[in-house]
Amino acid sequence: MAFISHLYISKVNRVLALWLVLGLVPAAHANGFTIRSVSTHLQDKVYLLDANIDYQFSDSALEALRNGVPLIVLLDIKVEKQHTWWLNQTVAELQQGYLLLYHALTEKYIVNNLNSGAQDNYEQLSAAIHALGEVKDLPILDAHLATDGGNYIVRLRTRLDLESLPAPMRPLAYISSDWRLESNWYEWPLQR
Amino acid sequence: MAFAAIKKLFSGVRPIVALFVLLLASLALMSDATHSSTQFGRLYTALLIINALAILLLVGLIIKNLYLLMTGLRQQVPGSKLTARLVILFAVLSVTPVTVVYYFSLDFLQRGIDSWFDVRVESSLNDALELSQASLGARMRDLLRQTRQVSTELSSTPDDLVSLSLNAMRENLDASELTLFSQSGRIIASNSAESTKLVPVRLDETVQARVRQDSQYFGLIPLPDSGLSIRVAVSVPSADPMGESRILQALFGVSDRINTLANNVQQAFTQYRELVYLRKPLKVTFILTLSLVLLLTLLMAIWAAFFFARRLVQPISDLVVGTQAVAAGNYQTQLPMPGRDELGFLVRSFNTMTQKIAMVTDEATRSQRQLAEQHAYLEVVLAHLSSGVITLDVERRLHTSNAAASQILGVTLDAYEGFSLDKLTHEQPQTLLFIDMIYAHLDNHDTEWREEMTFFNTTGRQVLLCRGSLLPATAAGEFASGYIILFDDITNLVQAQRNAAWGEVARRLAHEIKNPLTPIQLSAERLRHKYLGKMNPADAELLDRSTHTIVQQVETLKEMVKAFSDYARMPILELKPTDLNSVIEQVLDLYRHETSNCRFEVMFDQDTPIIEADDGRLRQLLHNLIKNSLEAMGEQADAVLHISTKCMEKEACKFVEIRISDNGPGIPEDVIGQLFEPYITTKPKGSGLGLAIVKKIIEEHGGMIWAENNETGGARIVIRLPVNKQDQNALVPAMKPPGKSDAGHSDAAA
Repeated sequence: MAFISHLYISKVNRVLALWLVLGLVPAAHANGFTIRSVSTHLQDKVYLLDANIDYQFSDSALEALRNGVPLIVLLDIKVEKQHTWWLNQTVAELQQGYLLLYHALTEKYIVNNLNSGAQDNYEQLSAAIHALGEVKDLPILDAHLATDGGNYIVRLRTRLDLESLPAPMRPLAYISSDWRLESNWYEWPLQR
Repeated sequence: MAFAAIKKLFSGVRPIVALFVLLLASLALMSDATHSSTQFGRLYTALLIINALAILLLVGLIIKNLYLLMTGLRQQVPGSKLTARLVILFAVLSVTPVTVVYYFSLDFLQRGIDSWFDVRVESSLNDALELSQASLGARMRDLLRQTRQVSTELSSTPDDLVSLSLNAMRENLDASELTLFSQSGRIIASNSAESTKLVPVRLDETVQARVRQDSQYFGLIPLPDSGLSIRVAVSVPSADPMGESRILQALFGVSDRINTLANNVQQAFTQYRELVYLRKPLKVTFILTLSLVLLLTLLMAIWAAFFFARRLVQPISDLVVGTQAVAAGNYQTQLPMPGRDELGFLVRSFNTMTQKIAMVTDEATRSQRQLAEQHAYLEVVLAHLSSGVITLDVERRLHTSNAAASQILGVTLDAYEGFSLDKLTHEQPQTLLFIDMIYAHLDNHDTEWREEMTFFNTTGRQVLLCRGSLLPATAAGEFASGYIILFDDITNLVQAQRNAAWGEVARRLAHEIKNPLTPIQLSAERLRHKYLGKMNPADAELLDRSTHTIVQQVETLKEMVKAFSDYARMPILELKPTDLNSVIEQVLDLYRHETSNCRFEVMFDQDTPIIEADDGRLRQLLHNLIKNSLEAMGEQADAVLHISTKCMEKEACKFVEIRISDNGPGIPEDVIGQLFEPYITTKPKGSGLGLAIVKKIIEEHGGMIWAENNETGGARIVIRLPVNKQDQNALVPAMKPPGKSDAGHSDAAA
């Protein structure tokens, strides 16, 4: 069927498809956030999450960062209980925010955990981005909330918060693919 | 009710104004949001979406209005052309100035934003930043040297003993925090001036690499709590040649003043840098906001143009529709009041006008109806008048005529209505005398005239009493609007007068003549008796013959006087219930025995009611008529006398009709009209008073009589007697003899 439909694609459509493949698809691959791995472990009756995220900021975002515009990266985490015949039930939902900022006087890149207030300084941007991608021992769920023996999954997504950008940048950011930086939802079974 | 209230709330000017104010407010907020990101920054996107939606809504509304307008124009709905013109006018009036303002605003915006940025400011800020770094640089190098000196003490100190000496070293250095890291960055020992601080500031990989490379590092770091700090890191070589060197990191606080100043410089620099970076997006945003304002204003203006044009045109459209309705004859049209302005005045005037027109039309209809009623009334009156009435217009054309006129003239006048009287005389020559008489008066311009004339038509001699008059003029400058001529057939009246005169003559004659007759007769008989025997035969014969003649003639005169007196006598009727059939039967019985050559045929209506009549007078009447018929038939071999009675009802009058017909020679045509007049007779010996008396008796009973000839030969006398007493008065004028020989006309009885 696909073969037949391909045969019937008009010339215009083929050009369009080619343009899409050459123009947009590589661009989408170049920038964007990718969750490499997620793992959970139980420690002191609290489920902790480790994640490894690859943050590929676009040139526009990096330029803004270098010009003093703070970037906020949000980590959306959901713990859901799976049901066979019904929609999944959300057991816990939390959002983790990280602020990435260039400090001109000290020439440092600052990564600030907005939830805990912890702040780290990095000489180089790559180090800061790398540190941003290393999530370690993030508490996500009290163990007693998931003791019924059901199947629980952790869903994770990361994205650039466009609403925290200065207002003048927002209209453009919303319509530009350079700024639409977000990962897909990543699912991982809650490990005991 | 609630729906109407909601509809009322959402229609009219208020919601538009409210919407417009809200949109302007949102635009103002949006514009504010671009300035200070803290206050309305979070609302910015929502505001943008709200405004975009509002614009879409407005565009939708305008498209709908435009579609309606186009449909209206295509279907030529009243007011749509005016609406289109007003909309175009409003739109042009609003678009032009707004566009001009928009153009110049754009220009100002571009230049205004560009003017914020100055190369000198930028370089000054850069310099300030560098100055800050440089001023701290000297201190940092000094601190580096001190730290390096202190670090040598740690070279020979094993890891587990380092923490003991760190506190003293930190105090010696006056550092805020002192931490010893392994080569891989692991914390070996740490000491902080703040006892509450648990986690020391970590050493990132870049710093580690720098220390590994240069055995030293210094730099500024921003710390969340204490602000700006100086970080110094030096390599601590191991005393043991095989041992691994370690890294000592010392953090030094800067004075509050320097901290504040450096922060200010940092903030100013960052803000300016951000502003420079945001120059382009800022412009775009401002232009976007401005464009939104422009678009919203334009769309609002166009929509308002539609709205107000419709409101403005609505009363005019109503007026157009109303005018068309009035033109189509609907005078009840009332338009809704648009307000108290001039249009309102116009609509009020229109409503008043239609009310008045409706009133006038009603009045006219009523008048017309009254006129028609009056006309019908007059028609009925005219139709039932016994006088003939004709009206002529000024051109002497027949305008109106009544039934009596046609009957009197013996011409169907309806056929000549609208035609000149000349046509009438031409086609009906018998009317010539009558018309000539009218013409004579018209030619004389007589305003009122009266004339009696006699003329002959198909029914014989007629005496007419005519009165003429001018009809009043209806238009100015006109002599008259026409003529009216009334005429009565007074033939019977004249006849009655003549009869009355005859009666009087007869009475007087009877009275005057009867008295001397007896002495004359007695005298003649006495002469004869006394002298007949004494005279010679010749004289005696003369006397005998003369006296005999005198006596005979006196007898004849007596009989004549008796007849006169009978005619003149005004008897008093003795009315009593009478069975007409039986009376007729009794009278006939007398003749059946006496007459041998005549056959009597009787046909009685058994339903004949008992009528009020004078029995004796009726017998006299029947004797007279039967005798007349028998005498007329004479010695005729097949003589047949036919008598019939019949109860009839005609024109609400009930009467009994008696027909006596014979098969004799009939009545000569020349006397048939005057048969019942005194001294009219066909008999050689008749006094001419018999039938006159018969007629008198009939009229005294309220009935009527006429004579006619049978179609098969012979004469026929028809008598009609009313059944009810009250009909004796009503019957006579109501009934008309069907035949042309109208001898016993009702008028005569009157």
